[in-house]
Amino acid sequence: MKLSQRMILVLTTVGLLSGCFLAGVGLLTEKPIQMNKQKEIREAIFEVVPQSNSTQKLLQEEELSVYAGMDKNNKIRGLAVKSEGVGFQDKITLMYGTDPSLTRIFSLTILEQSETPGLGAKITSEKEFLRFWQNKDCTQKLSLQKPPVSSPEKLSSSEVNTITGATISSRSVLNIVNQSLKEVKQLREKGKLLSGEPNAN
Amino acid sequence: MPTKPIGQEFLKGVWSENPIFRQLLGMCPTLAVTNAVVNGFAMGMATTFVLLFSSLVVSSIKNLIPKQVRIASYIVVIATFVTMADRFLQAFFPAISDNLGPYVPLIVVNCLILGRQEAFSSRNTVGRSLVDALGMSSGFVLGLLVLSSIREILGSGTFLGTQVMGDWFKPWTIMVLPPGAFITLGILLGLVILIEQKSKSRR
Repeated sequence: MKLSQRMILVLTTVGLLSGCFLAGVGLLTEKPIQMNKQKEIREAIFEVVPQSNSTQKLLQEEELSVYAGMDKNNKIRGLAVKSEGVGFQDKITLMYGTDPSLTRIFSLTILEQSETPGLGAKITSEKEFLRFWQNKDCTQKLSLQKPPVSSPEKLSSSEVNTITGATISSRSVLNIVNQSLKEVKQLREKGKLLSGEPNAN
Repeated sequence: MPTKPIGQEFLKGVWSENPIFRQLLGMCPTLAVTNAVVNGFAMGMATTFVLLFSSLVVSSIKNLIPKQVRIASYIVVIATFVTMADRFLQAFFPAISDNLGPYVPLIVVNCLILGRQEAFSSRNTVGRSLVDALGMSSGFVLGLLVLSSIREILGSGTFLGTQVMGDWFKPWTIMVLPPGAFITLGILLGLVILIEQKSKSRR
């Protein structure tokens, strides 16, 4: 056999074998990977919407998803909004829970981030950041309190805290929340969020 | 090619030809994921898996591959096992997979792995290649563990996630950032050379 033919034959065989093998691996792992992702989102929803233990997707846009969090009697306890935006280093993906009429934020959780460890990454810390996000009035735009305060009681209900040394990360989170709230409210006015009404079952 | 005793074939990877401290191969994962011990260990295990199986396959098919296309073939073999490792981590260890991020797929271009195929597995028997791969990956895991232990203890005050430093300790944030990786690696390289020189002059 000529050398060039042998080269083609060997590379084709190696590629084909590898492809078949990977197809098998892909099939085997696809389900667990999907389930992990869904589980992660469900757990986040139950965390940000109190008393919820089942959920239903209401809306999915490009960078925005809205889920309803329901209790065991299928009553809607609140909405979970998942959104993303630009942080200091990379994309930040977060989720927050609101009451069904979008007037109050229950709490916030960060799903994905790669902010600076020790500074911006504190946005994932309950003690340093997230507890300052509990129970916020979101009928109007939220604003940033700077310089930071030491306890959540010192903030007004439409203010959130800054992390010392990580103003940009704190502001990014705030912007993502404000922007997505605005969009969700608009979508609701257009009637695209039907089952999100308080008395819907 | 002169054949060494099999034990020496293994040990050379751990010390005299340690991939991290002596050959300075695979620096990208070494520097990037050693900010916590669990990440360093997971990266070490993933690399071990890829190196072992690549060496096994490459040393068994070495005579079938024309030398002009050997690198391409080796890379396909390596990439296959890396993809397997990546999917496996995503499916069964999602937290670790999140931490390691893009560095698992990047094992494909870890020069330690291609280097061992080219320098060793393509010229030696299957058995010897496996011993060599085991030795090299032990050396790699060892290096990652040392580096990540130092960085996690100083940078976060924890070891494997448990607090080991007292309340008085203020974590050195720089140690979990990229500069901390370079500083630690530099000091360790200096230490290894120092030990080597001491043991030489004693002989």
